[in-house]
Amino acid sequence: MLRAENLTKTYRRHAVAVRVLTGLDLEVHTGEFLSIIGASGSGKSTLLHLLGTLDAPDSGAVYLDDKRIDNLPTRGRDELRNKTFGYIFQFYHLLPELTTLDNVLMPAYIQHSVMGWWSARGEWRKRATELLEKVGLGHRLKHRPRELSGGEMQRAAVARALLTKPRVLLADEPTGNLDADTGAEIVKLLRGLNRDEGVTIVMVTHNLEIVSATDRVVRMAGGVLTDDTRSFRPHAPRPHLAATV
Amino acid sequence: MYKLLLCVRYLQTRYLAFVCIVSVMLGVATLIVVNAVMSGFSTKLKDRLHGVLSDVVVDTDRADGFPYSPDEIRRVIAHNEVLKDKVAAVSPTIEVFAILQFTYPNGAPVMKPVRLIGIDPADRAAVGGFAEYRVRQKDQTAPSLDPAPDALKRHEENREHAARLDAVQQERIKALEVPQARPLVKDPTALPEPDLFQGKAPPAPQLHGAVLGYSIAHVRFTHGGEMKEDRILQPGDAVTLTTAGGAELKPVWGTFLVTDYLKTEMSEYDQSFVYVSLDQLQRIRGMGDRCTALQIKLKNYDRDKVAVTAELEKLFPPRDGNRVATWEQLQGPLLAAIDVERGILNILLFMIVGVAGFSILAIFTMIVAEKYRDIGVLKSLGASSGGVLMIFLGYGLLLGSVGAALGTATGLWITRNINEIEAGLTALTGTAVFPRDIYYFKEIPTNVEPLRVALVNGGAVITAVVFSLLPAWRAARLHPVRALRFE
Repeated sequence: MLRAENLTKTYRRHAVAVRVLTGLDLEVHTGEFLSIIGASGSGKSTLLHLLGTLDAPDSGAVYLDDKRIDNLPTRGRDELRNKTFGYIFQFYHLLPELTTLDNVLMPAYIQHSVMGWWSARGEWRKRATELLEKVGLGHRLKHRPRELSGGEMQRAAVARALLTKPRVLLADEPTGNLDADTGAEIVKLLRGLNRDEGVTIVMVTHNLEIVSATDRVVRMAGGVLTDDTRSFRPHAPRPHLAATV
Repeated sequence: MYKLLLCVRYLQTRYLAFVCIVSVMLGVATLIVVNAVMSGFSTKLKDRLHGVLSDVVVDTDRADGFPYSPDEIRRVIAHNEVLKDKVAAVSPTIEVFAILQFTYPNGAPVMKPVRLIGIDPADRAAVGGFAEYRVRQKDQTAPSLDPAPDALKRHEENREHAARLDAVQQERIKALEVPQARPLVKDPTALPEPDLFQGKAPPAPQLHGAVLGYSIAHVRFTHGGEMKEDRILQPGDAVTLTTAGGAELKPVWGTFLVTDYLKTEMSEYDQSFVYVSLDQLQRIRGMGDRCTALQIKLKNYDRDKVAVTAELEKLFPPRDGNRVATWEQLQGPLLAAIDVERGILNILLFMIVGVAGFSILAIFTMIVAEKYRDIGVLKSLGASSGGVLMIFLGYGLLLGSVGAALGTATGLWITRNINEIEAGLTALTGTAVFPRDIYYFKEIPTNVEPLRVALVNGGAVITAVVFSLLPAWRAARLHPVRALRFE
């Protein structure tokens, strides 16, 4: 479903060049709950950004359903991020000026013009409310992010990521800023979404305790994949993972 | 939709933005007030400048006037193909410099240079700028220069008083026992009286009236902190006007009774203009029925002024010492000065809006820096760079619009209540903010021009948008990954 081929990425800071990815290959299968682990600076988040078209690789390619997406025009990539990918961040990144409901509705606001929103707002509000109820925030619709706890903010961020029914959820250390119990709750929530709704999830994490809840774990080091548990066995045949050790 | 939502939310939650709104508001309010006052001054001044002048003025340098009688001139204009349908009225006048002599109530003799204008009151009223400025006969349809009964009564009283004084003087001379001069004939009383009036009673001397500029006949002074005014020439008081006349331009003079005052509120006119009857001035100067100037009123000034002045220049060629000019040309330098002053003030005051623009730039730069992560989040959720640009441009537009709207409301309120505000400030500071005696206006004149208000508003909003362009562009260019990692 989502495939990265020979990805390289180098960040430059002044005169210093840091090679973050050095020819990485990865395939994520439909319905898979994949976790990426690795030391800090191993390139996990960068990989996630490249998969989600938030950044472009220096070389290599990213495919979605065998269609290359990393070189799409800006508009096409924006649309993919709005409709196909859902992002969850370590620090939740809810917009502080908006209520919980408005934060969850943001992808829909981005999708519609003022006139378009006027006609579609009922359905979107209904879906956002349902999602917030599903993540246990039905009573927090009108609250601002500062009035929510860390766990609640992350659950709101999950609801926001799910609003447009994305095919792939990209979670960048979603439990990194939460205590163990709340982190476990979030993983449980993601697991449920993956199982019940078939959402493909790619999760970057440091926490080795929570990876057990995922179908597959890949380890990154030195800009490539060094380990792949392949515990998940989808119907489709597996491609060769060149970088797997 | 997210652009509008975020613009409104930022406006509601970023209190720093109110600094921008207040800056724009102050700039717009100041510009509206200054423009309204300048326009008020300008309009009032133009009215007054136009005031005593008719639409078109023809005059000659010749001391003996045009070589035609007013009737001949009227006939020519009435039969001229260009002028006959465009000229509404013609008033022949004589305009010369003169010396005005009178005595103060305490008997002190006074001499003032004045501009002496001989008019036919009815003709002059027909071309405008005369009857409406008269104090005692304001807006009369048939204005006259003849002394009113109360003026004649005062004149009689003055004469009787003078006769009494003369008699007292004679008695005093007699008491001094000054030796009598030896008469030329033995008995002068025995000589027969010359029969000047062929046995009839001598006609009563004809009394001619004069309308004086208001400031000639009144003095202003401050008493106990208040501006006061005293009339030094009452209706019926006699004044002597001396000018040059005759073929050799020798001094000639006449005595007139004050009948009325002309109050144009233009100090130049009120301090120097004296109107007398055209006939009498022609007689004194020995001009026959000639005149030195024509005041011409047009049926449609704006439409016809060019055609009429061109045609009049053919009839009264400049090479013969004639001048043809519209009232605007005559007052050109002053009118131009007003416009230049207004333009410069607008440029200077628009700098206030410029300052507001820079505060928008500074505050927006801060807000964009503060919103780095949010911009990254928006982009990760699918917002385009153009969309992010529009958020901040929209925000600038919103701030500019709200500031301009509040500034317009404030400016219009101040303009409406400017005299009350001025009175309050004067009472508070003890210094007259708007000294009436300097400006000659009873109150601060204002004139709100909707087009100018719209221009000020448009300028302020455009400034706000332009100054928000740079921070908005920086926000739009922000790389989402870098924005998300921003600490």
